[in-house]
Amino acid sequence: MGRRRSFDVDEVVEAAAELFAGRSYDGVSIDDLVTRLGVHRNSLYGVFGSKRGLYLTALRRHVDHDVRPHLAQAARSDRTPAWDLLLLAAVDRAPDDPEVAELVSTVFTELDEATGDPGVTEALLGRWLRNRGALTVPTGQKLPETASEKES
Amino acid sequence: MAVVSVQGTDLMVEMQGLDKLWALKSQLTIPLANVRGATVDPGIVGEPKGIRAPGTHVPKVITAGTFHREGEKVFWAVRNAQNAVVVELADEDYTRLVVEVDDPRAVVAMIEEATSR
Repeated sequence: MGRRRSFDVDEVVEAAAELFAGRSYDGVSIDDLVTRLGVHRNSLYGVFGSKRGLYLTALRRHVDHDVRPHLAQAARSDRTPAWDLLLLAAVDRAPDDPEVAELVSTVFTELDEATGDPGVTEALLGRWLRNRGALTVPTGQKLPETASEKES
Repeated sequence: MAVVSVQGTDLMVEMQGLDKLWALKSQLTIPLANVRGATVDPGIVGEPKGIRAPGTHVPKVITAGTFHREGEKVFWAVRNAQNAVVVELADEDYTRLVVEVDDPRAVVAMIEEATSR
């Protein structure tokens, strides 16, 4: 189609994932994305088609890079994994977007399989929710890892 | 103001009232297969529009008609930026449509549902 792609698509998708992990879908405007990602608006539309197109790409990247490789580890650990985008997607977008709902539910099923027990998935989700709302960390507990932490 | 609807396998964009005149177009029919997505985007009105040919452009008041910029051809019909919706196209004469609608969120939801079927 002769459009210019004068930016690193993967870098842009990663930055978008960070933005979407911190705020609700409706709270992220195209202005926010253009400013934060440093790309032209027409390039954003040209490459991703829409805000939803970019969101789905960012969510899939997050699932493949940050979630799937750490399923078994997350199940064993007491700490909350840095899965804010996935969990926010489950709360915020899944009810409105069947594609998001399907992806989220597939990942939760994979987590069940990794642990062999849906109860562990539920405990993990419960811990994340509790930590999101916690102003102070109870003594003897570690702070959850932040979303920017990378394991490779 | 434009009225956007899904009719069969097409997306219909119909200009209302005087906007037919400003945009020099009363209606656009796009096969849904050529619709890549839709986005609520009030901020797009602040972007450079490019060269108008043909149409009407009174900055801050009305942007209507066909605009050319950086090899892209964009159809505009916007007065109130708050209600602007961007519809990205593929394999069409226009690269994208930027139209003002009555209920932007509802229009985006309708297009997303119709294109993911």
